[in-house]
Amino acid sequence: MKRGVNMKKITVTILMFLISALVVAGCGNSSTNSGKEAGESSGKTTKISFIHWRGEDVKVFDGLIAEFEKANPTIKVEMNVFPSEQYLANAQAKLLDGASGDVFASFPGAQFGSISKAELYAELSDADFAANYSPNLLAAGQKDGKQLAFPYQLVYNQPIYNKTIFEKLNLTPPNDWEQFLQLCETLKKNGYIPIAFPGADIGPGQFINSMMMNNNTDEDIWAKVESGQAKLTDEWFVRTLSQFKELNDKEYFQKDSLGTSKDIAGSLFAQEKAAMLATGSYMMSGMKQQNPNIELGLLAPITVAADQAVYEGIHTTTFMLGVNALSKHKDAAIKFLAFLSEKQNAEKYANGTGQLVTVKDVSYKTPELQHSATWMDKKTRFQPRYLIANAANEKAVTTSVQAVIAGKTAEEAAKNAQALIDQNIKK
Amino acid sequence: MKHSKTLYLFVLPGLFMYLLFFVYPTLNGLVLSFTDWEGISSHWNWVGFDNYKRMLFNDDIFQTALTNNLKFMLVVVIFQTSISLIFAILLLKNSKSNVFFRALYFFPTIISSISVAFIWAFVFNPNVGVLNLLLGKAGLEALAQNWLGDPKLAIYSIAFVKVWAHAGQMMVIFVAGLQSIPEELYEAVYLDGATNWQAFKNVTWPMIAPAATIVVAYTTIQSFKAFDLIFAMTGGGPIYSTEILSTYIYHTAFQGSEFGYAAAQSMGFMVIIALITMGQFKLLKGRSS
Amino acid sequence: MKHLRKEALTGVVLKKFILIFYALLILVPVSIVVLASFKQMTDLFKNPIGWPEQFSLSNYIEMFREQSLGQYFLNSTLVTLSTILFILFFSSLLSYAIFRFSGWLAVILYGLFAAGMMVPPQVNMIPIYSLVSDLGLTNSLTGLIAVSISIFMPVAVFILSGFMKSMPKEMIEAASIDGANEWSTYCRIVLPISMPSLSASAIFLSVMVWNDLLFPLLLINSSDKKTLPLALLQFQGEFMTNFPMIFAGVIIASAPMVIAYVALQRYFVEGVTAGSVKG
Repeated sequence: MKRGVNMKKITVTILMFLISALVVAGCGNSSTNSGKEAGESSGKTTKISFIHWRGEDVKVFDGLIAEFEKANPTIKVEMNVFPSEQYLANAQAKLLDGASGDVFASFPGAQFGSISKAELYAELSDADFAANYSPNLLAAGQKDGKQLAFPYQLVYNQPIYNKTIFEKLNLTPPNDWEQFLQLCETLKKNGYIPIAFPGADIGPGQFINSMMMNNNTDEDIWAKVESGQAKLTDEWFVRTLSQFKELNDKEYFQKDSLGTSKDIAGSLFAQEKAAMLATGSYMMSGMKQQNPNIELGLLAPITVAADQAVYEGIHTTTFMLGVNALSKHKDAAIKFLAFLSEKQNAEKYANGTGQLVTVKDVSYKTPELQHSATWMDKKTRFQPRYLIANAANEKAVTTSVQAVIAGKTAEEAAKNAQALIDQNIKK
Repeated sequence: MKHSKTLYLFVLPGLFMYLLFFVYPTLNGLVLSFTDWEGISSHWNWVGFDNYKRMLFNDDIFQTALTNNLKFMLVVVIFQTSISLIFAILLLKNSKSNVFFRALYFFPTIISSISVAFIWAFVFNPNVGVLNLLLGKAGLEALAQNWLGDPKLAIYSIAFVKVWAHAGQMMVIFVAGLQSIPEELYEAVYLDGATNWQAFKNVTWPMIAPAATIVVAYTTIQSFKAFDLIFAMTGGGPIYSTEILSTYIYHTAFQGSEFGYAAAQSMGFMVIIALITMGQFKLLKGRSS
Repeated sequence: MKHLRKEALTGVVLKKFILIFYALLILVPVSIVVLASFKQMTDLFKNPIGWPEQFSLSNYIEMFREQSLGQYFLNSTLVTLSTILFILFFSSLLSYAIFRFSGWLAVILYGLFAAGMMVPPQVNMIPIYSLVSDLGLTNSLTGLIAVSISIFMPVAVFILSGFMKSMPKEMIEAASIDGANEWSTYCRIVLPISMPSLSASAIFLSVMVWNDLLFPLLLINSSDKKTLPLALLQFQGEFMTNFPMIFAGVIIASAPMVIAYVALQRYFVEGVTAGSVKG
């Protein structure tokens, strides 16, 4: 008796599954026709895989790829995008396979270091499209005199600000620390959040760059810290942390900043509740999309007296495009890379995505890009955080920023971070 | 009991798949734990027990992650087990409304943990978040918190989400356990003039020990593996306060490019889970007999 | 419970209060997210909780227009169904063998699989990837299915062995004395009586396989082979600041399981209980 009942239940279950599978299969077929046709007609085409982490650029790349495929009918480009955390985790495994990432993007610093150490970059020193790039912006992709990857984007990793709010309150970007504090105070008094700070994710790692750039101007400082020659308990780093603490204690960041992700901080800024956003130029186009009326500029806090300031800002050359050394279709991959490096295509990318590019003589159409482009003439420093070679050390540094915001003293936070770095030196 | 040779054939297909795609890679991990492999290149060196020494004696974050993990486990196991048991008792009878409540409580189980993380990250958000807003509307502003941004609070907020997502599942196990208790047992103790509490202590609790063992063991293992949730909600921050072993292993391997060391951490991790589950089984077995 | 003494009125009220409170705890966040998926970004920030200014399907429409959702559904279904079928077949054979073997062989086999439940999948991601890559199975649903079978098999062995422990040994023995060989004993007796726990494991596992993200992320590259959770992750990358859009994605990815749950709710619940309690 009981068995019979159970069998009936099972049959129902299985039937339901089969029916739903059929229904779904039906949907699937109708919506994927276009893909199939393309597959059938591609008798002798070469398929290359292009992997990167910029989901927000997908539409622009789709357009560029379509043009590339039109010009090169025998090559098909398949693009795959992973969010940046997953990209760090998966890219290396996928590159090793040789089947994916014929053309791939990579981060400067630690990721570039480990991929080049594994000899997964095909050398591109002889590529003739190298001449399309600004020569002084290619260094991040070089190792031992060889060009292994082409940084495609130029990013300024310093706060963006709302020009309209600044003008309304008669404010200008400050030249020293006192002025910066005054600026924040004025904004606060007028009911604005002075700085939207995404403390939960990218904020500490982004804002520390401009906060420390003039406190220690030694380009090799992180190498020294990582080898034990310099310490985080040294005066300059403790000062940097106490300046963070000052901003936090005077409530110049939004409330609960450690619980705020970059998306939320961005929305506060886009809705003009906050006057500055401590991330970087790469978020400008997103802000503009959320609020088309907003007018944007870039600034960096000067943490020292005006006459001691050496640097005006922070730049990074990133989204470094390389060709997988294990790729079976290197020629096609290089062709695609050459295509992206052409001026008119880089221009389409730049204006479509709102990013500055490292390709020369590109004309920028939007006011944000034009404003950012003026920073190319200023004295900026390559993002110091990327010069920390060990990711655990980098995390110890950015975490010390969270620690002072959560209430630790600058000395304590510096001491804790130094303890972690000592362990990594000793390992 | 005698058995024929055919049984060995029965074992083959499953065992083969399992050995090839699971046991072999795991053993491979064991081998890696004695190397300094950084994850990509084909060159690596044997380093003996260095990785293990580092894990035990020279890695504060490993200790932090372990402590966080034990804290998380304790909170989740205690709350998930007791909440699911209470609801199982309240909803024991198969009445219409009870069946409805059980179905509703079970519902979060079927949502993927990444979706659960999206939902709660939004609810907890201090700026646009719904929870603080609702508390404000209810006149409870004082209770509004920086749920995921306060290093002292974040791990408990995530523990809450974990319980939210899985208590219903555990409740269902308890309901089945409770429903299998013969009514005569209760009739007997109530005839002897027992109170509700005595009936619970002397009949219910011993009789649901097998179900409790399953619930506790399953919850423990799940709480150690709560990777997706933490990864999507806090990424281990702020200030390592929600870093648990699985997220730390992931960070060591993929952010730090130290696969050899991450493999050693994984081995340590497995030993810790095995010890804890074995301890629990002993404890609960002792209880049921 | 009718055999308990009549509960006091306060007890009833308290009980109802607790039950409704927890029900709200589940319903409120879920409905906020469902409502949010019909809002526009600005609407959401002005009014995160309430009814949308106007119900707009635009997020869903864009989602369906931009993404090959049909393909993702199909892939997820294919992976889930074949994984479950193989797991059920393999693990029922295994559990039966474990049941019949006596002594150390059974202990070792069972221990080997039980231990598998403790291994965190992050541990063997990379070795598994290298293996699948050596076999030439990366970026194929076959490779993903093979790995999923192996990763989730321990749970099924655990549930099914637990159930089979409760089978009357005499009945099985009697069957073998009757001259039936192991295969026909398995087919004629063991499979039918373990149907409840088989279907239970099937549902329990299908939730896990359907929602799995880690291995699809690791093994699948091309968009024609993506599963739904993997696509969801990509929506997140693409619509970073657009919560309503992401929530629409969450709802689309969860919909099949929710529909299956509403239709087959009782079996889902049995899925969890079978084996786990009877063991």
